[in-house]
Amino acid sequence: MEAEEVHRCVKCGLCLVTCPVYQELREESASPRAKVQLIKHYAARDLPTSPHLSELVSRCLMCGSCTANCPSGVRHDSLFRRMRSDLIDDYGENWKKKVLYHFLTHAAQLHWASKFAAFGRNVVLEKIAQEVKIGNIPLKRLPKFNQKPFRDQIADVIEPLGKPRGRVLYFTGCGTNYIYADVGRATVQVLQRMGYRVGIPKDQVCCGLPLFIQGSVSKTKENILKNIALFTRPDIDAVIVDCATCGSALRHEYPAVLADLQTDTREALELSRKVKDIGEFIFDNVEHLQPFLKATASPTIVTYHSPCHLRNAQGVKTHVEQLLEALPPVDYIRSVDFDSCCGGGGTFFYDHPNLSQRIVAKKIENAKATGARLLATGCPGCRVNLAGNLEETDAIEVVHPIQVVELGLKV
Amino acid sequence: MLKPDVKSQLKTIVGRERFLDAPEDILSYAYDAYVAECVPEAVIFPVNSEEVAHILALASKERIPVTARGAGTSLSGGAVPARQGLALCFTQMNKILQISTRDRYAIVQPGVVNGDLQKALGRERFFYPPDPASFTVSTIGGNVGENAGGPRCLKYGVTADYVMGLEVVLASGKIIRSGSRNVKDVSGYNLTSLFCGSEGTLGLVTEITLKIMPLPEAHRTILAIYDDLEKTANTVADIIGSGILPVALELMDKTVINVVEDATQLGLPREAEGMLLIEVDGITEAVEKEMNRIVAKTRNNGAIEVKQARTQAETDDLWKARRSTYSAFARLAPTCIVEDATVPVSNVPRMVGGIRAIADKHKVRIGILAHAGDGNMHPVISTDIRNKEEWARVQTATREIFELAVSLDGTLSGEHGIGLAKAEFLPLVTNADTREFMAALKKTVDPHGILNPGKFV
Repeated sequence: MEAEEVHRCVKCGLCLVTCPVYQELREESASPRAKVQLIKHYAARDLPTSPHLSELVSRCLMCGSCTANCPSGVRHDSLFRRMRSDLIDDYGENWKKKVLYHFLTHAAQLHWASKFAAFGRNVVLEKIAQEVKIGNIPLKRLPKFNQKPFRDQIADVIEPLGKPRGRVLYFTGCGTNYIYADVGRATVQVLQRMGYRVGIPKDQVCCGLPLFIQGSVSKTKENILKNIALFTRPDIDAVIVDCATCGSALRHEYPAVLADLQTDTREALELSRKVKDIGEFIFDNVEHLQPFLKATASPTIVTYHSPCHLRNAQGVKTHVEQLLEALPPVDYIRSVDFDSCCGGGGTFFYDHPNLSQRIVAKKIENAKATGARLLATGCPGCRVNLAGNLEETDAIEVVHPIQVVELGLKV
Repeated sequence: MLKPDVKSQLKTIVGRERFLDAPEDILSYAYDAYVAECVPEAVIFPVNSEEVAHILALASKERIPVTARGAGTSLSGGAVPARQGLALCFTQMNKILQISTRDRYAIVQPGVVNGDLQKALGRERFFYPPDPASFTVSTIGGNVGENAGGPRCLKYGVTADYVMGLEVVLASGKIIRSGSRNVKDVSGYNLTSLFCGSEGTLGLVTEITLKIMPLPEAHRTILAIYDDLEKTANTVADIIGSGILPVALELMDKTVINVVEDATQLGLPREAEGMLLIEVDGITEAVEKEMNRIVAKTRNNGAIEVKQARTQAETDDLWKARRSTYSAFARLAPTCIVEDATVPVSNVPRMVGGIRAIADKHKVRIGILAHAGDGNMHPVISTDIRNKEEWARVQTATREIFELAVSLDGTLSGEHGIGLAKAEFLPLVTNADTREFMAALKKTVDPHGILNPGKFV
């Protein structure tokens, strides 16, 4: 493995501050600095791969906080991804993950599987699922699949209400398409209200990030090229993404992965420039939303979890908070750790359930301490993890920020 | 090599899950923020003094080297287990045991992170003054071991000035206590200061009683820009010599200014030869008065521009260049070293000029950064340790910087410690009898030399 940049690490230790896994375990071997050290020795061929090495490298949420704060500019995220790729070559992949990857790369099967799962989740498993856990999440607290994928529920083109302001394409992501159709409906409604013509290409596929973040780069190439072909268009103002993870893929990882695979990156870069997170896009154009917001005497208390893939990977740090603050029916209260990882980390909650549980428990406690009724977060992964770890008795509900905006619209 | 029965005894003391010896695990405890590395044979995480006592008693009996470690941010190699053996990590002894604002002390375990303590104290409008650059991650135990400083130590003093009492486990496994919760305490030898800066060679600190202070009411910050480095340094000596005591007085030379500007585009004056960042704190009226005197002094000494921050945001802007320096140098080349030679403040002008001359002579990229108000130089050296020829020049330049400091009544380290980095230079500042006295002390409390062996004593 080529890893020249490990020599850039001056071992200052500042990455320990922002690493959620180190903060929880307080063991150097869990830190980004230690992983760089391990990769350095691996690349120098004096440390062979081993199941234990694989375990240590996997104790990472891929949240990117270390990369965002590294004084020396070490790109931990891409370094760790390449290391994971080498480990998969040597040790193969957990079969359950393989099944997931297969579905994610084959949209038709995913479609079919989601229908099956909707049936299974809602009827057959209901009785026996009470105590079963998937990773750190009790099965009974996993979200139900959409009865019908979101893209099958809606037209390919939705015309604006009122004066047209522009045209956008909407990348719905797997989260919205298969689980959170409510987010899709809210996104379309708000954009339509603001005057945008919303196009939803039917043939779009999984962004691919869940695959290449684990190191399975080559498997994702087909997905990447297909999405680029569908979304790179000169006649649109923006490509709207409602999922922090998909957004970071379309915005940053596509050009990087294609470059790694020595494939032309021009279209990927053109697409990258147009990608906007839904919260970011609405805040940037908030004047077009304002006329349609209702004022209310008793606002709802809302708090926010900033997804790592939005904050660190896309650099969208303040837009969503500012948007929430601009909504009259919302009393926004910041949670003390609003910008630290929720512990979900893609499949981390599945690979390291206990550790993940400890991290998410703190997040939930702090969110509840704000007195909020709604905890907004623009990432389906974070949403599944946060909502999955609430108690039945908790008076807080996890939603997407766009749903908060939707609540504020005049009827 | 650790014998299997010793390993199993260690596991019995702390439990299986707090003892690591897999090759992939121990590799991550070979280093701190200094360049040298040495892989320990095992890593152990005690959670209380009794466990530490059992570990040390066993280590003494079996002659196993033990090197204490907090967050591993030492810049001198203090936490590198130079003779292998055990790396003993205090990160899981991280409880703040008590905060008493009434009697102005806090009692903490060694693994408490400096920044976490600051946060807890901040809620009571108090603070703990020593603020090493690593404070967000470094531990109080490590700060005590290295007698850490920081920018505001100019006014407030260093770690040793704030440690009132200690619990220490000796190499034998015996537990002793020194000092107390009293500001004044002359009951016997002042063992507390002996352990501050001892780098874990005399005993392992397991509980620390710290002096704390109320947060100052106000602070004011300025940035003074010069077209001449000598004028910059003269201002420092002039301010301190006149009796004013700022909370921070930081110097940056032309190399620093340009490297930072390349990295950050803050709009720093590239043609400037020197800059001073000066902050005062205290009671609002006093702060105003002191700052007026300081501004007058910077102008009298030839500052071409003085920027005064009026808001917190403007203050943050002024600090940005200083705070970005390490990062900017770290990005220039793979290896970044911050040296720590210190001189009496009246010699700062000669020291600054001398470092510049040494850098030019050996063609080494050295930016001069300094906590100038207390004479603590931080020449930042950007290099690549893999380039042997350049590394040799860096080492020669480093030696000359130390020799220069000593010739100016200075010392090797202001706040980073001796560790592995400066052990060979110790004879420059201590005579043979002094070193023999240190060795005799060490021999008395650690007869088998198990505590952090291979370092300065």
